[in-house]
Amino acid sequence: MVSALRADLFDPASLVALGRIEIVARWIVDGFMSGLHRSPRKGFSVEFAEYRPYQPGDDLRYIDWKIAERSDRWVVRQYEEETNLRASIVLDVSKSMAWSGTQLRSLGGSASGDTAVATDRLTKLAYAEQLTAALVLLLLKQRDAVGLVRFDERVRSSIPPRARNGQWRRIISALEEPGTGKASSAPTALREASRLLTRRGLIVLISDLLMDQPDVESAMRALRAAGHDITVLHVMDPAERDFVSSGEALFVDPESDLTIPASASDVRVAYRNTVQEVIAEWRALFGSLGIGYEVVSTDAPFGVPLRRAFAARQQMP
Amino acid sequence: MSFLAPLYLLLGGAVAVPLLIHLLRRKMGARVDFPAARYLARAEKDHSRTLKIRNLLLMLLRVVALLLIALAAARPVAQWVGAGHAPTAIAIVIDNSLSSSAVVNGRPLLDGFKAMARDVVSHATSADRVWLVDMDGRVRGGTPATVKDEIDRLEAIPGKGDPKAALARAASVVRGVGLDARQIALVTDGQRTEWQDAQSVPDAQVLLYATPGPPPTNRAVTLAEARPVRWTPRGSVAARFLSKDSTTFRMTLGGRTFARGTAAPNEEVVVHAAPPERGWVAGTVELEPDELAGDNIRHFAVWIGPAPGVTVAPSAGQFVKEAVDVLKTSGRIAQGNDITVVGADDVSSLPALITAPTDPVRIGAANRSLERAGIPWRFGSRHEDQSLVRGTGFDGVTVNAHYDLVAASGAVAETLAVVGRDAWIVAGPKYVLIGSPLVPEATNLPVRAAFVPWLGGILTERLVGEPGQAIDADPGAHLPRPRWADAIEGSDGRRTPLGESLDVPSRAGTYFLTRGDRRVGAVVVNPPAEESILDRYTAAELKSRIRTERTVVAPDAASWSSLAFRAAARRSLVEPALLLALMLLVVEAFVIGSRVRRLA
Repeated sequence: MVSALRADLFDPASLVALGRIEIVARWIVDGFMSGLHRSPRKGFSVEFAEYRPYQPGDDLRYIDWKIAERSDRWVVRQYEEETNLRASIVLDVSKSMAWSGTQLRSLGGSASGDTAVATDRLTKLAYAEQLTAALVLLLLKQRDAVGLVRFDERVRSSIPPRARNGQWRRIISALEEPGTGKASSAPTALREASRLLTRRGLIVLISDLLMDQPDVESAMRALRAAGHDITVLHVMDPAERDFVSSGEALFVDPESDLTIPASASDVRVAYRNTVQEVIAEWRALFGSLGIGYEVVSTDAPFGVPLRRAFAARQQMP
Repeated sequence: MSFLAPLYLLLGGAVAVPLLIHLLRRKMGARVDFPAARYLARAEKDHSRTLKIRNLLLMLLRVVALLLIALAAARPVAQWVGAGHAPTAIAIVIDNSLSSSAVVNGRPLLDGFKAMARDVVSHATSADRVWLVDMDGRVRGGTPATVKDEIDRLEAIPGKGDPKAALARAASVVRGVGLDARQIALVTDGQRTEWQDAQSVPDAQVLLYATPGPPPTNRAVTLAEARPVRWTPRGSVAARFLSKDSTTFRMTLGGRTFARGTAAPNEEVVVHAAPPERGWVAGTVELEPDELAGDNIRHFAVWIGPAPGVTVAPSAGQFVKEAVDVLKTSGRIAQGNDITVVGADDVSSLPALITAPTDPVRIGAANRSLERAGIPWRFGSRHEDQSLVRGTGFDGVTVNAHYDLVAASGAVAETLAVVGRDAWIVAGPKYVLIGSPLVPEATNLPVRAAFVPWLGGILTERLVGEPGQAIDADPGAHLPRPRWADAIEGSDGRRTPLGESLDVPSRAGTYFLTRGDRRVGAVVVNPPAEESILDRYTAAELKSRIRTERTVVAPDAASWSSLAFRAAARRSLVEPALLLALMLLVVEAFVIGSRVRRLA
């Protein structure tokens, strides 16, 4: 039933509450795939997958004429690509990721009135893990080799890219390991991902990007120099983006212990402007490096970032 | 601006709340995990100037609003900005006491006061009510022109007046017309003796002007007294002077100078005289005129007549006879039959000084003798115990034996001395009756030094001539009517019948009291001696002595005139303060609301 309702378009918090991460990931991918307008790529190694009835507009080259002759039915041969793409997902599991806007409720709720939503919102980490699982599954279904690097102030898990059976299980097990260290060290993780790929591949960084831009920039430049395609999914909680609380408090960065006393209502406008500036800076930086960049809100259905990552994959040979 | 409930100003301390919130807000609040704190820090850094200005603006709006609310609670009243003044009831109290006639810079103080008062009246509009109140408490009202005329006619009184009554009357008239703006405008020289008693006018607002600077040097006659009041015909005049150095004086009697001399400061001068005048005569003690002329002359009155002839009967006793001989030798009395000094059992004519009989067995004869002479007293029981005599001039006099003096019905007499609770010496028309014989066995009076002067007084004053006397009075006083007089003679010789009371004239002088066609006494009107002491209170000191709802001190004469209506025509600032506070709170809400709109 979930599949029929396009799980990739479900509210993430509601969806995650329905099952374990691997099950939910399957629903997401199934829903995502059913909504995909499939346009198989032609490659040197194309493998037959199935038949389906001919529909007007289908390429006549793929009509199985033999069946048409025997049974007077027009069917189209479906192929699935088999590539040698190697992808590595770099997941930020630092402490800042283990946060959701529900923690601001003590300051008086949200100005936008979405208190109920905030109550059920996933933490950035939960969202990112679910997204990672779905993305891994999607890539594995594409016969791609997929690996995973989890990091906080150090690399927590490092799974080399593989396309074989069992990789899915290994990655799911890794996602269930603890993380949330005090800091984020993306450069180390990105170098590790590059090392694991061994040749040109796809790297997907899933992080809240609460880290120093110059460090990230230098690491990204190195990856780009190595020929990797990179996509960055910038995970943000809506409260983090809009700062909708109304109270006065000491706002503490759980990673750096930076403490800022502020009245949310006083600084809200300035804060929002700052967030937009930061996003613009990231976008400009990644754009200059040829890196795909997408801001992902934790209240957005998983299909949104998944489509962005899949699009990146589709651009790969 | 002043406050009707100033304690509520303490509410202004509430401004500490927004101040503390503003200053301490960075140390307050719950700790909340917020991973994007770095964005917050950057936002605050980038927009700190805007935030600070907005926060300061909000804090100022809240502080001022709180201050205005506290101000309103304290019920401020003040003169509103704008021309003119509200309809005002104003009572101008001019200090026209004797001291206001002192000449300063060639001009009497009172003239300056009157000019100031005229200036105030000239600012009055047809909607105002104006009264003039003098130091006697007399109130004169009417149109501004009428009040100006009254001011022109105002003269200094020869006394200190009644400041309390003046202020009370002034407060009463301004209250009575129902105008919101009420004012008592007081102008005075601030003389200490005049304002010695603190005045209380709790529900009035007073605009005060007190003459600044030191008072002029003053010389004055502070005592002028005939001793005794009845001269037979010799007597003396005692005088004392207020002066910083020796001063020359002259004494007159019946308009004739009979003595001149020089007196040291505060020295009592006694001048003896035996003038030819007879009857009640007016006299003066005078100094050369100085800045305050009103106290350079002091009046007195004296009765002058021949020495009465006195006969002493043997029944009066040897001590009395010897005392009368002494008086005859001094010339105060003569040998004759005008007065007899006699034992009660031997009374045959009046006037007489009558003593109790020496022998108790003569009491019956004495009472019959008193009855025959028409004296409404009888001797009663005899008492033989030592008792102290009480009465004027009887200090130390004791009695060993005395008779009760029993009054007959209708007896009108004056008790001169008592023993215990019993009358011992009584006096009536043409008699003085003593309850003991004047012998040492019965009383020590005859052997005391005071006996001869007392006896002289009885013989030359009480038993001689008419029963009248000289009455010293302050100007304008109201005294009980003396029974022995029926009219008072003015300085122009015109006689005014006495009513139920004796209304003392307000001008200094000697006014004779008459009975029929004859002068039988006098009212001597002099300013109080303390009125000659011109020491002043400062305006601030005077303000503290006049307890009012509000007292405004004018720093100079011009300010007093200009403030007269403005100081009174004050209105409440409660409504404007609350309105302004409300406006500020609306602005504050707008500032906050603008942020909310930007959020939306």
